[in-house]
Amino acid sequence: MIVKKLIEKIEGEAELDFSFSEGRIEDVRINFGFYRGIEEILVGKAPRDALVITPRVCGICNHAHLIAAVRAIENGYENAGTPIEISNKAKSIREFTLACELIQNHTKWFYMTILPQLEKLLGIQSGENHALKASYLSSTITKALAIFAGQWPHSSYAVPGGVACDPTYVDVMQAESLLDESIRFFEQMIAGLPLEEYLEIESASSLHRIGGDLGNVLHQMGVNGMSQMGYSHDRFIAFGECLFFKPGKSLATTVSNVDARYVEEARQEGSTAKAVSYKQRLYEVGPLARAMVGKEPIIKSLHKRYKDSLLTRVFARIHEIALLLAYNKKLLRNLTLDEPSCTIIGHDIKVPDATGTGVVEAARGSLIHRTTITEGVIEKYEIIVPTQWNLSHGNEEEKGVAVEAMVGSATTEEASFIFRTFDVCSVCTTQ
Amino acid sequence: MEKRQSEKPRLLWLQSITCNGNSHSFLNHPDLFSILSHFELIYHPVLETKHTIEDLISGSLACDILILEGSFRERGFMKGGIEVASYIEQYAQKAKHIVTAGTCATFGGMFKQYDPKNISGFCFDGEEETKRYESYASKLISLPGCPIHPRWLSYVLLMLVKGKTIPIDKLHRPQELYNITVHTGCSRNEYFEWKIDTKGFGLKEGCLFYEQGCQGPYTGGSCNKILWNDISSKTIAGTPCFGCTEPAFPETALFSTKTHMGIPASMPLGVPRRAYLTVTGIAKTFRIKRFEERIIDYDR
Repeated sequence: MIVKKLIEKIEGEAELDFSFSEGRIEDVRINFGFYRGIEEILVGKAPRDALVITPRVCGICNHAHLIAAVRAIENGYENAGTPIEISNKAKSIREFTLACELIQNHTKWFYMTILPQLEKLLGIQSGENHALKASYLSSTITKALAIFAGQWPHSSYAVPGGVACDPTYVDVMQAESLLDESIRFFEQMIAGLPLEEYLEIESASSLHRIGGDLGNVLHQMGVNGMSQMGYSHDRFIAFGECLFFKPGKSLATTVSNVDARYVEEARQEGSTAKAVSYKQRLYEVGPLARAMVGKEPIIKSLHKRYKDSLLTRVFARIHEIALLLAYNKKLLRNLTLDEPSCTIIGHDIKVPDATGTGVVEAARGSLIHRTTITEGVIEKYEIIVPTQWNLSHGNEEEKGVAVEAMVGSATTEEASFIFRTFDVCSVCTTQ
Repeated sequence: MEKRQSEKPRLLWLQSITCNGNSHSFLNHPDLFSILSHFELIYHPVLETKHTIEDLISGSLACDILILEGSFRERGFMKGGIEVASYIEQYAQKAKHIVTAGTCATFGGMFKQYDPKNISGFCFDGEEETKRYESYASKLISLPGCPIHPRWLSYVLLMLVKGKTIPIDKLHRPQELYNITVHTGCSRNEYFEWKIDTKGFGLKEGCLFYEQGCQGPYTGGSCNKILWNDISSKTIAGTPCFGCTEPAFPETALFSTKTHMGIPASMPLGVPRRAYLTVTGIAKTFRIKRFEERIIDYDR
């Protein structure tokens, strides 16, 4: 028996065809919408136009696309034998704004997807306007981002050689104040305890110390068996070297090196989304993957007990908010303004003919841009987005990451909730 | 017929071919929920609503104010097996007001470039009127911008709910928002006045119009009057204006100014070339020391 369901209020929509056998889901077909052709739009354009065009892939992770695009161009300079240095100031500002976008994303996902959908699934009627909280924190943190980037969404302020802004300490103090406000929100609303104390929690047995909305969600998930469902392949990968994330892959208890050259894209029959694998194997990307590769103590402890369950996956994303807030605090504290914002000065800027790859950790996982510049224009542009990893249909040997997590569910409601814990972005997938 | 819960205008937010950027931009509005409290929110792509997407695509929902996001094609863009174009038209006919939110819905925008023949805005294809224009012109408000500014949208929504008339231009853009240029209020205006270009990116000194591709002086929009995220703008942050509110967005080579014999090819809005050259000629005969110095020396 096949049941079709249109999943809405993710980033865009997805159509899922659930195949049932003996009352359990045995397979799921994930279909996305319309292909928008960003890669083709870029062909023939000036190399730096990618900094304006690629953010338009996605309304919620546009900034990550900008950073991947600028890194791809800068990698091209390096491959052409003319590497460019970036000042620590520019590096820190780029990291700060990227982290702000991730915080924005995770907050919206928690309050606008997980909380309402969990309540629906469990039949809870809290009557709370969770979106109000999402909007408060996300608009506060994107305001901090906009101090440096000019605006969010769709900034193009990262340029080859650094950043276009030239902030003063007036800007830095305002950003810090907005960050403090965001931390206060995390402490009072999300975690119910001071950030420092929250970050001291390293063991699953101390999770009960967490209060606030996160404590509530953990409790609901715990008593409803969600620490024993939603298991996938338990293989994780991250490619982006940024913020506090390290590239690597995590299998069983071992973390090892990765090389983005072994990432393969394949067309999927009947889908506008291409599947991605690493050395022919499927991996999960995103906050859980980053925490496993980075050996984040509390996530390792949870994983030891509950593996890659729903509970672990949801917690990993919210936990990342705390890590990002603390990291951003450190970035601003150490930011000095007496270095150049951009090391490429002058007007006659010619981006060299070369192929360059830019990798970054976006909200949903590793994002890869590859630009090939020939005779001063873009000849080819490739974008591999995180959702392609998590939502592929899989291959002959095994099912895709999210599909595997949904298999075995008794209802489409439960499976749809599992699907949403991957923070699905149909918009990116059909770029 | 379903009984109405309130007499508030019924607001429906509908997406076509989009990146969701306008939805997310509007979520940045600090007064979001007070603004929405004036309406009965029938459907929204991200916010919780009473109705589902299945209800939406059935074309059966009520709608007084229709917000459209995303560019438009007649055929080949489906949701739940139904052509999006077909149910958009159903709601457009019902609606008392149609607001095209963003450059895609207004002119075709970014995604038009993939298939320029078949993809356009709802009532405009670039600057040209589409065949739909005549049917909907009387109730159409254009809000271009990639993305829309949240306060531009709230201004329009509140004007509509209060029954006030919004003065518009021939592309149906509110004059109060688009009859000034992005250049208005730019923090670099002194440098523009004295024709002093910036030495490169990453500097707060100098104007971006001469070399960096800034389209601010001939782009309609209040980006530097009503700031982005209530705090900044592209040009304040050293990024050129890319003309994202204009029908031709996005043009090419966005980080360099097109010039004829060293003079910007596009003039500030409405300024005759001769007038511009005269003023430039005079301004450039003076050398003003203050404009050649850094504003702040951190290393002193």
